[in-house]
Amino acid sequence: MDRDLSYRLTFGTYDDALRLVGATSEPRTAATAVSGARIQLFAAMVHDGNRSYWDAEFARRKWGGLLAPPAMLMGWLIPPPWEPGGRPPAASIALRVPLPGTTFINAANDVEFLAPIIEGDVLTVVEQLVSVSPEKQTRLGVGHFVETLETYRRQDGTMVATCRNTLFRFTPGAAS
Amino acid sequence: MTAADLDWNKITVPVELPEVVDHISYQRVVENAGATWDYFPGHFDPGYAQSQGNPTIYVNTMHLAGFADRVATDWAGPSSRVVRRSMRLAGSVYAGDTMIGRGRAVAKRQDTSVHPPRCLVDIQIEVSNQHGALCCPVELTLQIPESA
Repeated sequence: MDRDLSYRLTFGTYDDALRLVGATSEPRTAATAVSGARIQLFAAMVHDGNRSYWDAEFARRKWGGLLAPPAMLMGWLIPPPWEPGGRPPAASIALRVPLPGTTFINAANDVEFLAPIIEGDVLTVVEQLVSVSPEKQTRLGVGHFVETLETYRRQDGTMVATCRNTLFRFTPGAAS
Repeated sequence: MTAADLDWNKITVPVELPEVVDHISYQRVVENAGATWDYFPGHFDPGYAQSQGNPTIYVNTMHLAGFADRVATDWAGPSSRVVRRSMRLAGSVYAGDTMIGRGRAVAKRQDTSVHPPRCLVDIQIEVSNQHGALCCPVELTLQIPESA
């Protein structure tokens, strides 16, 4: 079990978190190119028979290659579960915001897909910390909402997607 | 099974999209971690999910997004493309649940800020569980081809 390694959160106070608002990450490039095998593994998981994911000839004529399912966007930038030479740093800036919460759950996601992403593309993401809310009580516990903006570019520099995500960083517990 | 392509010119709004129902087994939740490399333990470890206050493991954002996209593109056909999707994770979908996706195309518009103009359809989708609880409201925009 490497959950501590994979999801080591940064701890701190709300004031610590506020000092990071506006910070932008270094660009991160996907470990592997968008591939037909992963496109079809995802489509199989969703039970999505869309020919753009399965019919190479159709997809080549329509998009220039098998189309990456838009829903998979974030997945291309998640590091593999193991790599030779040790793990890279935690995937997302959202997890590295210093806050008291011991876990997190996603709350909202808003994406614009500016251009099709197809097999062979290699994506690079830049993340920005947009906001951290004051402490909130929800049915899950007490915590803070962390909003980030991710900008995705492909290998030729074209911006292909922007993603605004909000997660709830919280400590589980019944409402007090 | 994917529908044939719709022609943007022939779509009238509002129109209900065919309902999509999908039972989410434990295997499906775990398949997601394998497909997306999202090994957050809430998606594969029931003990961790329970420590968060959940009854068991739950699907991730990418799976919910993929289900919403499927509701839209099953209707519009494989030449359509999702150009925008806004979703709120109001409640989780757990292993053992059934997802029900109900969509409604509510507006047609042309985006003339680009050349050639893009033909768009705005869709509202509700992803609910078998208890009728709304888990994920979605606003989604498709670009759909028009006949020459």
